[in-house]
Amino acid sequence: MRPAENIEKQVKQLRYETNTETHNRVLGNVMQAMDKLEKQKPGAQAPNIWRTIMKNPITKLAAAAVIIIAAIVVINQLGIPVESSAFAQVAGRLRMARTMTYKVTTNSNIEMEMAFKEPGYMRITMPGGYVTVADWTQDKALTIMPPRKQFYEMDLALNNDPAQRQFDAIEKLRALPDQADEILGTIEENGRILQGYRVRQNGTVNTVWIDGDTQELIRVEAEFINAIGMNVVMTDFRFDVDLDDSLFSLTPPAGYTRMDIQVNTLEISELDLIEYLRLWSSWTKDNSFPPTFNPIELQKLAMEMERQGRFGEGKESEEEVKQGALQMTRGIMFVMQLPGDSNWRYAGENVRFGDTSTPIFWYRPTGSETYRVIYGDLSVKDVALENLPE
Amino acid sequence: MFEDRILLWKFRCGDRDAFRLIYDKYAGDLLNLAANLLADKNQAEDVVQDVFISFVESIERFRLTGSLKGYLATCIVNRSRDYMRKKKRQQTAAENRLGQTTSGVKNPLQLAINSEELLKLSHALTELPYQQRETIVLRLHGEMRFRQIARLNNVSVKTIQSRYRYGLEKLRSAMNGEVKK
Repeated sequence: MRPAENIEKQVKQLRYETNTETHNRVLGNVMQAMDKLEKQKPGAQAPNIWRTIMKNPITKLAAAAVIIIAAIVVINQLGIPVESSAFAQVAGRLRMARTMTYKVTTNSNIEMEMAFKEPGYMRITMPGGYVTVADWTQDKALTIMPPRKQFYEMDLALNNDPAQRQFDAIEKLRALPDQADEILGTIEENGRILQGYRVRQNGTVNTVWIDGDTQELIRVEAEFINAIGMNVVMTDFRFDVDLDDSLFSLTPPAGYTRMDIQVNTLEISELDLIEYLRLWSSWTKDNSFPPTFNPIELQKLAMEMERQGRFGEGKESEEEVKQGALQMTRGIMFVMQLPGDSNWRYAGENVRFGDTSTPIFWYRPTGSETYRVIYGDLSVKDVALENLPE
Repeated sequence: MFEDRILLWKFRCGDRDAFRLIYDKYAGDLLNLAANLLADKNQAEDVVQDVFISFVESIERFRLTGSLKGYLATCIVNRSRDYMRKKKRQQTAAENRLGQTTSGVKNPLQLAINSEELLKLSHALTELPYQQRETIVLRLHGEMRFRQIARLNNVSVKTIQSRYRYGLEKLRSAMNGEVKK
């Protein structure tokens, strides 16, 4: 053995062995600090946004409903098509990946962690510790809500529209076009030269940035043509990392209770949307409609509204509140499952219930020449394209 | 690594057992790392304790971007540097030399040096300039790559490789050829 190797080997042998007493002492001190921290939390810390929202019986269930919808939307909508020569390499890697993880950041900096595993598992971790696991091998999904110690189960088979029922994020990601629609040139970022590509596919415009040196996928900026304002950025891609099957378990944690909101998307109609809009306007003190239809953004905005005291007292019974959350889920689901060519738009922000002249939502039903327009008084009319608001 | 992410998530949700598992998994290696960096068992304990307390305090806003072990090791390095700076101000280096503590069997964190040769090597390691010692310890005990150590020190990989090479050279000289068998 060479002297250098011998020295290295001997330095490695300089190991401080710790005994149980030492471990217990250090651990004990850390746990004590943890206890102190716990005691200080309620008074000393800045108000936790989740604690704020959970004070109000209406918003606490509404928040849960929004989380569930956000999970469904993420499952259904997020896709990351990529491609070109640097592109081809990335595309190939995506197609071959057995597992993949990445981070999704929304317009308002809400972050979600995504994980996929063959043959059809997906896990989404959202703010507040909310986790949704989808298992397409069983057509089931589970959302757990730590702040409420509740879980919610979804039957993915209930939504059997092939265009909607997708193991989509991963499948879209793999269904890459052969060529990018546009090559954007390079940008320098954090000392790296990134090559940009733009790909338009199925109502999604993806701007893809690949490291010119390493050919690694760095970032995907996704815009959804049919869901204005729902842009997301995907980063921190990792492929073929070890993902234990337990991460995709559909068994809720011990001590969690079931949240009973069953939504069969086949039975959802325009009336559900109207009823949701009516309900929301009854929750707000000024009878205004929801600020957005983006369920991910709505979660944050609802919490801000709650902090600003814009919701009423919430004196409904627990059952009424549950029904409200269910209606909210159905209303938003109606919009989320509209096809890409429905061209739906929501314009209800700052509009109050009773406004007969202001259109707050419109969409084109499948096969229809005209648009369905819902006004501020929740009346509905069929309107020709040329008569729609700009 | 994903196991760590799950433990972190559980801990963030209030599961104390998850924290214990994290502690059990990494505390031994971190104590060893700190002890080799500081050549002082008591300070090593303090450093590890401080790092875990900071970790607990920041768990709600903590976001793991790499490996948890790497993150905790980096915290140990940074905290050890603070201790070294403090120590420089307060004491003479000789007072805390490892050689003076290894004879004390009462030490809860005992350096398991059974041979005279290793004892001599540990003295030699303590005598190295801190940057060289840190590089050697991070490489051989922290299992870090040169690139990671360079990033941690904000210097080039070549600089780190030089520190490592010079450090080993000095250790070899200090051993006066006794390592050659």
